[in-house]
Formats: sequence, structure tokens, C-alpha cells
Amino acid sequence: MKIDRSDLINRVREMKASGYTYLVKITAVDYKDHVDALYFLRDISKGNDAILEISLDPKDLWVPTIIKEHTSADWYEREMSEMFDIEIKNRGAPRLLLEKWDGKSGPLRKSFAWGEDYIK
Amino acid sequence: MTITRINIGPIHPSTHGVLRLVADIDGDTIVRVEPHIGFLHRGVEKLAETRMYMQNPPYMEKLDYLAPMSYDEAYVAAVEKAMGIEVKERAMYIRVILLELQRIASHLFFIGTIGNDLGQMFTLFMWAYMDRDMVIDLLEEATGSRMFYVNMRLGGVVRDLPPDFEARTLEKLNYLQKRMGEYESFIEKNPVFGERMKGVGVLSSEKALDLGVTGPVLRASGIEYDVRKNSPYYVYDKLHFEIKILTKGDNFARYKIRLLEIKESIRLVREAFKRIPEGDALGMPVKLRSPATKEKVAVISREVPKGECMMYLVADDQKPYRLSIRSPNFINLMSISHLAQGVRTADLFATLGTLDLVMGCVDR
Repeated sequence: MKIDRSDLINRVREMKASGYTYLVKITAVDYKDHVDALYFLRDISKGNDAILEISLDPKDLWVPTIIKEHTSADWYEREMSEMFDIEIKNRGAPRLLLEKWDGKSGPLRKSFAWGEDYIK
Repeated sequence: MTITRINIGPIHPSTHGVLRLVADIDGDTIVRVEPHIGFLHRGVEKLAETRMYMQNPPYMEKLDYLAPMSYDEAYVAAVEKAMGIEVKERAMYIRVILLELQRIASHLFFIGTIGNDLGQMFTLFMWAYMDRDMVIDLLEEATGSRMFYVNMRLGGVVRDLPPDFEARTLEKLNYLQKRMGEYESFIEKNPVFGERMKGVGVLSSEKALDLGVTGPVLRASGIEYDVRKNSPYYVYDKLHFEIKILTKGDNFARYKIRLLEIKESIRLVREAFKRIPEGDALGMPVKLRSPATKEKVAVISREVPKGECMMYLVADDQKPYRLSIRSPNFINLMSISHLAQGVRTADLFATLGTLDLVMGCVDR
């Protein structure tokens, strides 16, 4: 289900109230012209899964944190932030979770130079 | 209250890999623990984007070197879904048999190493390792390899089961079934195990959901969720087995649930052998070009020994455009900050041990 990032927190809260209490994963996909942030939620008792999809402009990459709604979002958000250079708003600046690649972040972005491009 | 900060790691025998813990302690009580990860971050997801579809399974196996086949299978299943390939019926049974043997091997390793974490060196470890070796022998017979199997091919497996494999497997499983009773009496009658496991590192069911833990850790806290039952794949819906649930959510429950799961896996393998049909089980040979993908996105969930592994594959023509791996170890490790609060310093490692972590899978 596609949503706007401004609706994320409210949507997550509503879904949590309706049974989607389990956050399976947060990740992102870089489609070059836009970056999709994906939130996988689950209603454990019914076994239903839902995906929230937020399309982001590569020049304005940020999403609000949902750590107050799901504690499990902590590491997922930090991982997504480091791997895709997406800023997570309203949660300060947590310690780096994985690692920084030569001072650059966002190794899972398509524009990240590595391999032969990196040597050049 | 005087808080002392101690650094543990970046390596500890309690973890199968490299982990650093920064713990604040008051006397002998843990006040706060923060895991530092990333030492084994290889960028597997990025690597996968540069390899052809069937060049990736060996990388997936290195995620969890105690259950490599489970990750190999999860990845291949995601590719099969993207390509719209049906798995042959006999191959489905073979996959289930091998995956359950893999689960037994992984859980036996856990039972062995939890003894070490509690200072019970090395009787239990030798017992469990000996029994695990027996299961690994079976996997070697079926796949030709003892550690990294790479036994999945699109639509099937690399090789069919060898002659008389069923008889040899059942004989070993009968032995293993008896051994489970010995493990139980060895561990559960030991007062040291009881004191350091029962009531230590308690995780309530509400908190387990909030922290997003998965697999045996989730089920030990009373949440009934197992991908094999809730979203059945292959022939799991035809086979009879139970999801084992314990409610206390302590270290002991996390040990016991894995022991119970070994028994269920033995049951599953026995039944799968009864139902396995004759026929062809071989998958497509690996060629330079794989079949074209039909779906843009494939999402697959699998119950691997450590919990739920989800593969989110965005398909390109011949390579994954993006592969996101939901690692069960990653999210289970995050819960240590909560679990360790208030436990004694020595019990931190018992608690960490019951999460059954493989750091290669945490960091990816």
C-alpha cells in the first residue's frame, strides 16, 4: 500500500490498533529516480502481512521514526539510514550501527561507487 | 550506586562470530548493555546485485554457517517465485527432509554450546557435536558436502537422495530420539543449569512482539507463530507437526523450545519419508542465462532454524536488482539490551547464548 511519509506514523498507529502489532522489517530500494522505503507489518494472530511503501525523492531523503510505535524499528531504521543515506527524523543521531564506507554512507544506493569505479 | 562500564569483545566464545558488548554494571548486576555489530559486514546484499541469479546461493550459505542450506533454499525459492518456476513434487519432499535435518544439526549445536556458555565445558558440547556430526554425515551423503551444500537448483535439487538413504536416516533418527531424553536429564537435573537458566533473561510475550524477535525466541515467550504452519510452503501443510510453545520466556524456555523442535523435526522427516513420491527431483542445470523473470518483486518467508528469514527480491533480467534479507539473528540480538537488564554479569553470556546467534547473519 502506497502512502505519503507524512501519514506514516498515523498509519502505523492505526494498523497497530487493528492487530498489526509485529514489525517484520524495514528496508529500502533505490530505483534511481526515486527511493522506496518499505515497512513490513504483520498481524500475528491472523497471519496477515502488509507492506507500507513510501516513495522518496532522492534529493530529499528522510522519513519520520516509528520507534515509539515499534521498538524493533530501532536497528532497522539505523540500518536503512546507513545503507541508503536516508535521514530518520526525530530520533537524534544514534551511534553508527554497521560501518561507514570510507567516510561515505549509502553503499546500497545505485550511485555508490565501488569495485572498478571505486578504484578510479 | 556506582556504575562501571566494561567492554566485552569484539570477540566472545558465546557468539559464533565477532561481537562487542558494552555493559554498564552496578556491582555484579547488569544495568545496561549495548551490542556493537558490523565487524562481519560484507555487504552481501550489494554483492548479490552484481552476480547472476544462480551465482548467489554460495554467498547466501555463508550468512549462517550452522544452517547454510536454509538460506540457500530461501534465496532459490525467491528466485523461483520471481521466475514463476514450480518445484517438482519429489524435490519438495527432499528439500523438506534436508531442511529439517539442517534444523536438527543447528539446534544440536546450540544445545552443545549453551553448556560452554554456562561453564559446563565440554561434556555436553562433545555429546551434541557427536550427534550433530551424525546428521552432517547424512547431509554429506545427500549433497556431497559437509558444510556448504549449494544443493538447490531452480525447480529442484542438485541430486536425488542416494539409495537406502531413508533406512540410514531413520536408524540415526531413532538413536537421536533416545538421546534427547539423555540431554534432558543431563541438563535439567543439573542445579547449575537450573539456577542460571530458570527465571533469568525473561522476555514477556508483549515485549517479544514489540522487540520483533523471531523463531524459537518468540515461541519461548508464548507467541504461536511458525512460518511452516502459518504460511506453509512446500509440503508442510500435508505433514503433521506441532508448533511448540512455552510461556515463561526465560533462558530455560529458549533452550527447551529448541530441544522440543528437534523432536518435531524428527517427526517431520519420518513422515516426509513415508509420503515422498517417486519421480524426478532434479532442478535445472545452471546455465549462463537463467529463465526470464515474470514477476518484478518476489517476497519469500522461511522458517530457518534461528527464526524467520525473509527474502525481498526485486528482479532484473539476469541479476537481482535488489535483494533484502531479513535476518532472524539481527533482530534477536537487538533484544539483548532488554533481556540482560538486571541479570548478573556471568548470566549475560547465558542469556546471549540462548539467542543462538550467528554473527555472519547479523551483519550480512
